[in-house]
Amino acid sequence: MEIRSMHFVDRVRERLDDPELQRNLKRTRGRNAAARAASLGGLDDFDAVRARATEIRASVLRDLDLWLERFEREATARGATVLWAHDGDEACRLIIDIARRHDVRSVVKSKSMVSEEAGLNAALEAAGIRPVETDLGEYILQINDNEPPSHIIMPVIHKSREQVTELFARVHGTEPKTDIEALTREARERLRPAFLGADMGLSGGNFLVAETGSVAIVTNEGNGRLCTTMPRVHVALTGIEKVIPTLDDLATLLRILPRSATGQAISNYVSLLTGTKHDGDADGPAHMYFVLVDGGRADLVGSDFEPMLRCIRCGACMNHCPVYQTVGGHAYGWVYTGPMGSVLTPLFQGIGNARDLPQAATLCNQCGVVCPVSIPLPDLMRKLREKQVERGMRPWTERLAMRAWAWAAARPWAYSACARAAVRYLCWLAGGRASIPVMGLAPGWTSQRDFPAPAARTFRDMYARQRRGRAS
Amino acid sequence: MTSAPPGGRGEVGLFVTCLVDLMRPSVAFSSIRLLEAAGYTVVVPEAQTCCGQPGYNAGDTRSARTLARKVIREFERFDHVVVPSGSCAGMVRVHFPELFVDDPAWHARAGALAARTYELTQFLVDIAGMTQAPGGFSGSVAYHDSCAGLREMGVKRQPRLLIDSMPDVRRVELRECEECCGFGGLFSVKYPDISGAIVQRKCEHIHASGAYAVALGDLGCMMNIEGRLRRTGDGLTQVIHVAELLAGE
Amino acid sequence: MTSARDDILGRLRQRRPRDDAMRDATGEEIRRAIAHPERGPRPADAEDLVARFVERARAMTSSTDVCPDTGQVPARCAAWLRAMRLPLAVVVAPALADLDWRGAALSVRIGAAGRDDAVGVTPCFRAIAETGTLMLCSGPATPAVNSLLPQTHIAIVRSEHIVADMEAAWQAARAELTAWPRAVNFVSGPSRTADIEQTIVLGAHGPYRVHVLVVGT
Repeated sequence: MEIRSMHFVDRVRERLDDPELQRNLKRTRGRNAAARAASLGGLDDFDAVRARATEIRASVLRDLDLWLERFEREATARGATVLWAHDGDEACRLIIDIARRHDVRSVVKSKSMVSEEAGLNAALEAAGIRPVETDLGEYILQINDNEPPSHIIMPVIHKSREQVTELFARVHGTEPKTDIEALTREARERLRPAFLGADMGLSGGNFLVAETGSVAIVTNEGNGRLCTTMPRVHVALTGIEKVIPTLDDLATLLRILPRSATGQAISNYVSLLTGTKHDGDADGPAHMYFVLVDGGRADLVGSDFEPMLRCIRCGACMNHCPVYQTVGGHAYGWVYTGPMGSVLTPLFQGIGNARDLPQAATLCNQCGVVCPVSIPLPDLMRKLREKQVERGMRPWTERLAMRAWAWAAARPWAYSACARAAVRYLCWLAGGRASIPVMGLAPGWTSQRDFPAPAARTFRDMYARQRRGRAS
Repeated sequence: MTSAPPGGRGEVGLFVTCLVDLMRPSVAFSSIRLLEAAGYTVVVPEAQTCCGQPGYNAGDTRSARTLARKVIREFERFDHVVVPSGSCAGMVRVHFPELFVDDPAWHARAGALAARTYELTQFLVDIAGMTQAPGGFSGSVAYHDSCAGLREMGVKRQPRLLIDSMPDVRRVELRECEECCGFGGLFSVKYPDISGAIVQRKCEHIHASGAYAVALGDLGCMMNIEGRLRRTGDGLTQVIHVAELLAGE
Repeated sequence: MTSARDDILGRLRQRRPRDDAMRDATGEEIRRAIAHPERGPRPADAEDLVARFVERARAMTSSTDVCPDTGQVPARCAAWLRAMRLPLAVVVAPALADLDWRGAALSVRIGAAGRDDAVGVTPCFRAIAETGTLMLCSGPATPAVNSLLPQTHIAIVRSEHIVADMEAAWQAARAELTAWPRAVNFVSGPSRTADIEQTIVLGAHGPYRVHVLVVGT
């Protein structure tokens, strides 16, 4: 997917000015957070599960090369083929090669964020292969002129039912249906033939289990099951960081993933898929491939940003992010949105291409607190800010202001003089009022709010005077 | 409330913070009153300036380290360091040690100071054992949890306990009380549109609560919320620091 | 192809340098971790696994029924289908072929479900009390499609197969299955979606309803 994160500020303005989007964001705001909170009680000890989940993911990353080799060995032994790709383009080429080898004309897809990274749909179409998104949300986006998702697990959270009604009537040529159940049925009826007729099913992978060389897929709709059961060929496309050691680890992570994502104790379907159909099996693919994509992940191993690779794509960080809840996912300009996107996008797509993302955060740490694998998201955003400073990517005004402040704050006499001057200036601006409506030095502040007027003197001056008074 | 004689429980170093120094000296005076009421002798080191948080959050680690060393030198002699700001206290408690991971000597000093640094209400309740706020205030009050106080320092119960001890105060809870007010330091001037939309939601929750006053523990959030209330035509709702509320007039 | 593999693994190795001895030691740790899987923290076990399973399955919008012995399974299925006004035609997994389905006045086909089958009947390898989940293993006698294509899925769960949690289910699978199944499907209630306005609709792409018959209680 082409990155547009460099236009963040303009995209934010458009979204704040979009009353329909704001209505849609408001409708769902807080609901996932509340559902998550309500579901944690079922765990007895959330902190212990979270600590274990964190350790599972961290332990694999410590020895990722060896775990990948083990996974590959097990998967191959059970009949799958494991392929590797440096980046999204290479992944697309590999998948098109597979499709050609097996004479594939149509592909049904269940959700795969890596396929969004790679821009797989466009590549398949260019190769004359028809991709059909089958997750209801992703399907809605695909028929809406390949609109990008705005949330990693609820891709059309930015849309209203009225927008879906209009879209279905226009694209399907059917009577407009306003009922959500009827809309869902209509998509089901459209997609059933696609499942039954597709030559290839493409899935993502929530986890790769080294013990059995399997991919684990978590869905509610059942489209993941259909994509991996009906077609002759199954391709699981995912990142190299998704390995976990054992089935018991899968059990632990499944306690925390659906709860963090949607507040469910478990998702409706969890499928562990291992190799190809056996002799005598009535269903299942005859060919199974894994396409494991690096896409910037390997370079994070052993770096300050390694904790980001623990991510299990639950979306809790964005569900709890005040910025995401205000601007929606499209403002972020790439596949991943919210706090995890603000860290991943610059790391995968270049720090210079997404300068605003790590800056556009209040560092409130709601994301860090809810993350089921304890990723310190605000710390990572701060480290990205450090990188921007190191590489001279910040505007000179900001650099100058920061340097001047640091210089003065390190020298009490200079600080004291500046503070005194600032108070005098602000009091003059206030002119006796309780607050300052326009301030030339901080237009950003006063575009949105008044600046409260300070007291007439700094604390240090008042305190010194008081002490002198007591002494004399 | 406390049986110790005035000043009998030892010295605390008060880290005033630069925003209080500049904008709202009464917060520091209220803090001194509260700490003295709890039986402590309050010392305000004169050369103190800023904890370095603005630079730290802007990615300027070098200057953050310089200022951190200054704070450590000035405050490490105290048994307790008290800060009337969750985010500046969080800077000392959580981030100072992180700044010196590669410098064992300073890391140890930062860690030692961090362990003795408290947000004001946290110190009053958890260390001083205060159960009754000395001040008087009358009216309904909503407490806004500032992010760093809540999530870095664990301040949640303490201010509520003290507010609830005030006989003429009726405390009300804000909806989404743990959500950020949209201040975020430089974020508020770099991304004013987003910041403004977030603080607008906070103001709506304040209005919905019917509170006469909002009390909070961080100057940044205070200026943000008060500034937005005033801008949107609310000249009535009081926005006060929790120290001012608890110390009373 | 191999070059991407070797390059990626090579770079990972570079970023985490180990000498031969360390590499061997880590390899040994990995072998041990897989041979002796460590269990994470689990919620306290229920005293009555069957009751817990039934409660949680209902919470996931499965319907449940109990049946004292296997011989009565076809009749109970037929009674439920009649009560629900659903078609009395079932496609039954070969593993359950021995039951007397015709004796219950059901039109029956033994085998894998196709696009037109309305009701699929499956056995269940294990069921998980913690979440009310069915664990279905694919195989010649247990096609995966029977719990997937029909609008109605009936699962026959033997009460002694109800285990506390997924860890216990995996343990049973490791111990009992001679060939590891192509697909292990954990099913917790009917298919659902909440993609449009986060409003839950049952029957997105899979079954609209899941009926669980617990046998042997």
